[in-house]
Amino acid sequence: MNASQPLLEIKGLNAGYGEIEVLHGIDLQMFEGEFVCIIGANTAGKSTILRAISRLVPHVTGTLRFAGNDLSNRASHDIPTLGIAHVPEGRHVFSDMMVEENLMLGAFTARHAKDLSSRMEGIFELFPRLRERRGQLAGTLSGGEQQMVAVGRALMLQPKLLLLDEPSHGLAPKVVEEMHDAFTKIHSRGTSILLVEQNVGLALDVATRGYVLESGRIALQGTSAELNENPAVRAAYLGI
Amino acid sequence: MKRWIAILAVIAIAAVLPLLLSPTGYWIRVLTFTLLFAAMAQVWNIIGGLANQTSLGHAAFFGIGAYTSTILVLKFGISPWIGMFAGGFLGGIAALIIAVPTMRLQGHYFALATLAFGEVMRVIANVWTSLTGGPVGLSVPFVPPSIAAYSFKQLLPHAYIALIALIIVTVIFEAIRRSAMGYRLRAIKENPAAAEVIGIDTTKVKLQTAVISGVLMAMLGTLYAQVAVFFDPDTVFSAASISIRVALIAILGGVGTAIGPILGALFIIPVEELMNDLFSSGAAGLSQLIFGVILIAVILWRPRGFITVFDSLMARFSNKARS
Ligand SMILES: Nc1ncnc2c1ncn2[C@@H]1O[C@H](COP(=O)(O)OP(=O)(O)OP(=O)(O)O)[C@@H](O)[C@H]1O
Ligand SMILES: [Mg+2]
Repeated sequence: MNASQPLLEIKGLNAGYGEIEVLHGIDLQMFEGEFVCIIGANTAGKSTILRAISRLVPHVTGTLRFAGNDLSNRASHDIPTLGIAHVPEGRHVFSDMMVEENLMLGAFTARHAKDLSSRMEGIFELFPRLRERRGQLAGTLSGGEQQMVAVGRALMLQPKLLLLDEPSHGLAPKVVEEMHDAFTKIHSRGTSILLVEQNVGLALDVATRGYVLESGRIALQGTSAELNENPAVRAAYLGI
Repeated sequence: MKRWIAILAVIAIAAVLPLLLSPTGYWIRVLTFTLLFAAMAQVWNIIGGLANQTSLGHAAFFGIGAYTSTILVLKFGISPWIGMFAGGFLGGIAALIIAVPTMRLQGHYFALATLAFGEVMRVIANVWTSLTGGPVGLSVPFVPPSIAAYSFKQLLPHAYIALIALIIVTVIFEAIRRSAMGYRLRAIKENPAAAEVIGIDTTKVKLQTAVISGVLMAMLGTLYAQVAVFFDPDTVFSAASISIRVALIAILGGVGTAIGPILGALFIIPVEELMNDLFSSGAAGLSQLIFGVILIAVILWRPRGFITVFDSLMARFSNKARS
């Protein structure tokens, strides 16, 4: 892949559920090593963009390319094998399995890799709390810890691109901070991140660039600094 | 190690038990059907327990198996042992045909779709008279007794065949549960959304369980045909006495566990027989009514199945052994 080619390229993406179209002509590009966020109000369609990338939305038209691959003819269970890991909205852990088993399942499509235990070690360095609780059932963890498991599970894949869907939703401010520190670290180790957030201040803090989604259309885009300065963004999302 | 000794002891007891019963009597028949239904419920447990898809249409595969082997003996003189595999093959194809469109359905909708499929098969068997004999039913032809011809003078060999079948399907169930496939199924059961994003092919794994379960259920249909000797569409394709009963046995015993269906069958089949015995001279339907009340009481007492009683007994036993 040549350097000038985007890692992720979305062009004219329409997507919806049944009769209802949710996304109308989305254009979005990401280069390798970028940390990009998508912000917008409830039901704007933020999750639907991530779900379309993971091929979890039934009706999709338009261009979806990742690292030179056309995603539109891929099945959802193929997506992780290309190097895309998705942390879905809500704390989706395997409740009756131990933390360790949850993490191992994250590398399900890479289960023959030899370095799984060192991958897990890397996750314990990122979230030391998980190391203490490696033998605990994931369903008995606190909300923040469950979210760490969900993120850790995605990292077990050693993805090129990490899709994060409102990872700090409903967490205590201190845990949110911990979480965002972790994202910065993950990014600095070379993983590209596409983050969906309702907490616009936080998102623009960690990401370098962002898209503002309104009713299924990209209303604005720019660097985090530009969006932070934008009067419309400030009025609508930052409450200033 | 201890576990293996316990398992061997249970098998030994089960192997001796038929010898203690009168070989021509009534109770050996009850025992044979108990073992057969335990095996059927275990096979149901593969899809119902591991894939968490409550099928109410397993009579379809069962009936396909019973009819296939019996028609092959009647028309071509082919041994039911071979007919059993032919039936298994057709049962697997039927399972695939029904599972492809319905596997995405959840809970009640899957149950209803499979229930309808079982009923469709019953209607087809009733109408396709040239092949199945229609509502009149089929009789397994008498051939000189021999193992190769799957023909015996007494019920005793049938009881042992049912026991062996139960052991085989239980081993298959447990092997799947502990395999990578079992792990995948557990992940899907615990959190479908998370299973999807980590790259598990949900549909494919569930289809595999449906086909395995369909093949085995059809093979057990042959066992039934050979014991019953006579059957018609309304018995082998019955929603109430096959489809729902095998689901009930597994659920009452403890769904998703290897021991559950065995405990369930050991309870349901003999109790049902006993009720019929005791109350059949009373008002029509009285025995079913009492049986129904017993079932409700048991479900209220142990909502998660007999397995919970079994587990606490085992726990007490091993505590005693340790102290
Ligand atoms: N599985 C589904 N079936 C039908 N409609 C859906 C489904 N998922 C989402 N929608 C609809 O699509 C629209 C966009 O949903 P989406 O989840 O993408 O929004 P969002 O921006 O992520 O919102 P939130 O911030 O609340 O998570 C909503 O109107 C929603 O009702
Ligand atoms: Mg969302």
